[in-house]
Amino acid sequence: MKRVIKSTIVGLGLLVAWVATPALSADLSVCIWGTITGPDALVNGMSYGTRDYFEFLNQTKGGIGGNKVQILLLDGRYKLDEELKNYRRCVDQENSVYVNGWSTGSVKALREQIQQDAVPFMTESFASEALDPVKLPYIFMAGPTYEQQMIIALRDLATKGGKTLIIMHPDNEYGRGPVNVVRTSGIIEKLGLNLVDTIEFPYDTQDLTAQMLRVKSKNPDLVYVQASTPQLIVVLRDAAKVGMSAKTFVGNIYNISPAIPQQLGESAEGFRAIQVYSDFGSDIPAMKDILAFKAKNKVEKEDVYYMKGWFKGIVMSKAIEAAIAKNGGTVPSDIKAFRTSVRDQMVALKDVDVGGITPAASYADHQGSTRARVAEIKGGKYVAIGDWINAR
Amino acid sequence: MYALQLATAGLAIGSVYALIAIGVVLIYKCSGVVNFAQGAFVMLGAYFTYAITRLGLTPVIAVFLSTVLMAVAGAATERLVLRPMLKAPVVAIMMVTLGVLIFLRAVALAVWGPDQIAFPKLFPDGAIEIFGIFITYNYLTAGSLSICLALAFLAFYRFTAIGLMQRCTADNSRAALAIGIHTSNQISLAWSMSAGLAGLGGTLLATLNGLSLGLSDIGLIAFPVIVLGGLTSLAGAVVAGLLLGVLQAFTDGLVTPMLEGLLRAYTTIYSVGALQQVLPYALLILVLLVRPQGIFGWRGSERL
Amino acid sequence: MSGTRLWITFLVAAAACVLALMLGRFGAYLMHAVVIASISALALNLLTGFCGQISFAQAALLGVGAYTAGNLGNAGWGILSIPVAGMASAASSALIGLPALRLRGLYFAIATLAAQFIFDYAFKILDPLTHGVSGLLIKPLTILGYVVQSDQAYAVIAIICLFVTWLTMVFIGETTLGRAFLVVRENEIVAKGMGIDVARTKLWAFVISGFFAGVAGALLAFTTRLASPEAFGLSLSIDYVAMIIVGGLGSLPGSLLGAAFVTLLPELIQRVGEALNIADILSAAREMAFGLLIIVFLIFEPRGLSALLHRLASRSQTNIALKTPQPTSERRRSELGLKLEKVE
Repeated sequence: MKRVIKSTIVGLGLLVAWVATPALSADLSVCIWGTITGPDALVNGMSYGTRDYFEFLNQTKGGIGGNKVQILLLDGRYKLDEELKNYRRCVDQENSVYVNGWSTGSVKALREQIQQDAVPFMTESFASEALDPVKLPYIFMAGPTYEQQMIIALRDLATKGGKTLIIMHPDNEYGRGPVNVVRTSGIIEKLGLNLVDTIEFPYDTQDLTAQMLRVKSKNPDLVYVQASTPQLIVVLRDAAKVGMSAKTFVGNIYNISPAIPQQLGESAEGFRAIQVYSDFGSDIPAMKDILAFKAKNKVEKEDVYYMKGWFKGIVMSKAIEAAIAKNGGTVPSDIKAFRTSVRDQMVALKDVDVGGITPAASYADHQGSTRARVAEIKGGKYVAIGDWINAR
Repeated sequence: MYALQLATAGLAIGSVYALIAIGVVLIYKCSGVVNFAQGAFVMLGAYFTYAITRLGLTPVIAVFLSTVLMAVAGAATERLVLRPMLKAPVVAIMMVTLGVLIFLRAVALAVWGPDQIAFPKLFPDGAIEIFGIFITYNYLTAGSLSICLALAFLAFYRFTAIGLMQRCTADNSRAALAIGIHTSNQISLAWSMSAGLAGLGGTLLATLNGLSLGLSDIGLIAFPVIVLGGLTSLAGAVVAGLLLGVLQAFTDGLVTPMLEGLLRAYTTIYSVGALQQVLPYALLILVLLVRPQGIFGWRGSERL
Repeated sequence: MSGTRLWITFLVAAAACVLALMLGRFGAYLMHAVVIASISALALNLLTGFCGQISFAQAALLGVGAYTAGNLGNAGWGILSIPVAGMASAASSALIGLPALRLRGLYFAIATLAAQFIFDYAFKILDPLTHGVSGLLIKPLTILGYVVQSDQAYAVIAIICLFVTWLTMVFIGETTLGRAFLVVRENEIVAKGMGIDVARTKLWAFVISGFFAGVAGALLAFTTRLASPEAFGLSLSIDYVAMIIVGGLGSLPGSLLGAAFVTLLPELIQRVGEALNIADILSAAREMAFGLLIIVFLIFEPRGLSALLHRLASRSQTNIALKTPQPTSERRRSELGLKLEKVE
């Protein structure tokens, strides 16, 4: 028995030592994690896009300021402990200068550590709790918050003369949080709208027929759905089952996905969503770069999330570039100073051209662009209707 | 009217539950094993149908072939995984079926990816209205097919020769062996029929809810169903499945808004969340406490 | 437990603490993840491996511990949060166990499955206590005013808790209660015939197992700083059952091995994938490996990793064993099949 214990301990110790040894870190490292496999893997174009942009820089310009960027893309699996583990790997082992996290939960749990580590952190989340330029100076996001998105949709409804509203959302943080904020803020009443019902459903739902019957019985002017694409697909499918038109439904930025018209066909016509980023394939300068990249590499996802990823890549690399330039053109050897410098340069970004993916981005408010517009599914494709509306 | 509409929706989904639960009861009766991997069979059946239609074959052939494939998969699972474990304790057997579930899910993940996939249209679009109840063709056919299959299976079990052999093996495998029934073949048969039914259920479910890895989670609902219906009763599984489907629909459509109305008026709690998901399990505990053998089961079947 | 054994265990724990302090943050994080999983695995092992009751509710108990410790920690209870969290989980465990006392084997397992879902639901809607799905933000642990920030420190605290848990398990194994557990596992009727109060024995198993699950949950709360319902779902319960199976049902070192194995497997596969540049496919492979391992272990080595290693380690001693004739009593015991496995 003693032998067993001894040999096991030695074995485990070796394993831990191997895993714990800091890797030979490159000068310039950027670390990304996302749900590569997991419940919201459908939207992981956001992570691939960022990784691909840095790869693009490496391939066409030799990196940033002549320094190749070492990019690491990890799988967070939408599990908090995996994401926390990835954070430590990024900051501690890889010595990354910029970290791109995924879930709202992880950015909340990591708030203090990000502050202590003083590492620039770009989050995929649009939760208002992750946005605080004063208290969370190192955390950045890539667009308007969920609340702001909802307000844009509501404003749109109010101007078109609608009155009754139903909100649907899943029973997770992503669903409840923003909805509660908007609901308790009083803005719905201020816009002259009447919230007749709020419906919560399980986030891994496969069947919402009963809920849709409930919605149908109230006959609202608008149903705002604060959900991810997989859930929205269930919503629209079951709406069709009970005879409701997709025209009544509006979703947030995560509902601009080719999967929706693809899987629902006719039942998706008329559905509207908030669009912050231009869709993949639209006639913008950034698409030229993406297509050039695609010619030589494999592009995992071709959707609006990929565009968000590309957008993040652009703004992150611009900040890093400015920081290197400030250091006389070489990568600073002190990683702490480098990170702080990148953060300062990030906040200093003003009216940056992001190739048409969004209107010019400024990061003084840590958000980039707070403008959005409404896009509607017509003939199986998302068509922008109306102008860019500013959430602020 | 609204209630009738809810009931119809509930019956449709309940019949799929029934189809899946029958499979679990079948295996349990025959070999005393609770198949945690039933959900994986459901999921695989749908994925097979999808894959075969992608090869260019018509949906009808695809469904047929996928059922056959699932039957083979069921028998294979029994031979490869369960046979070697004949003498193992109950705990271990339960866990091994769980291992099969995890493994099959992973295989589906590797082959088809984590995203949702558009399932081929098996039934025409559109809907009809009967007595003011709006129901799509898809729902109607899926629901009625499930119910017919379930009833047909019950009939097969009761009235055919093979059904008789199955019942003998289930009742007392030693006695069955003594009178010349090849019990191990019967057990394999039970597994393949069960997997085939699950696969069909999966295909029908996918026409309603789309194709994704999440289909395997439906397997878990089988347990409240079979506890409610009685672990050893096939008819019980059908009745309990329908009942549970309707109960869930009513919870969603009537109970939840009522409760939320009350809570919102008197407390700060805003929503009751996914009440319809926890309801089957609360019911399960209740049944286990009050009448462990379920509606149709026999006393003493809860002993192992 | 003999004095030498105690010393050896103490030295191993001390060595582990030293190692924890030397590791970087990533290594320390992995270490405390494994240690916390071990505590929980030992707890589940008591219930399932020794007492024979399979439970799918382990994650729910961890959750109760985490939420309790989180709330107490935020209110300033410091290190006391951990044992109190343990007590809360013990109470929840007894709650789950009480109605299940009348049920056996399969029905009991299904009942724990239902309990898991019900607790899950409770976590989501009991907003005042759990902050619902937003999750409970938890401040770092404070010990006598000192705020514990580093992963290394948490690893040391976790190791100390594991040490205590291990000693408790060994101690229980040597008492009448421990023997009673084993008999109840094998055959309840025989146990009753021997005069053992089966219901009380089972309940004790629930309470003790629940307590340590709560301790593990508390440690999880302080190390992840966020307790949310999603983190304590059915898949975590299944992970723990896998841990004790892979490690070896009823074996204490097995629980540690199983915990280490299941916790470190994803990381191992990730690194291999990166080295070979096939990281994307490997994600699915991780799950496949997990499922396959459970199946393979159950079919071929139901006694798990501990027995496997034991066999490997003792292979060198077989030659000597073959030559020395076994005393009669030994032979008898091996004939009877050694059902009652000795607590190591």
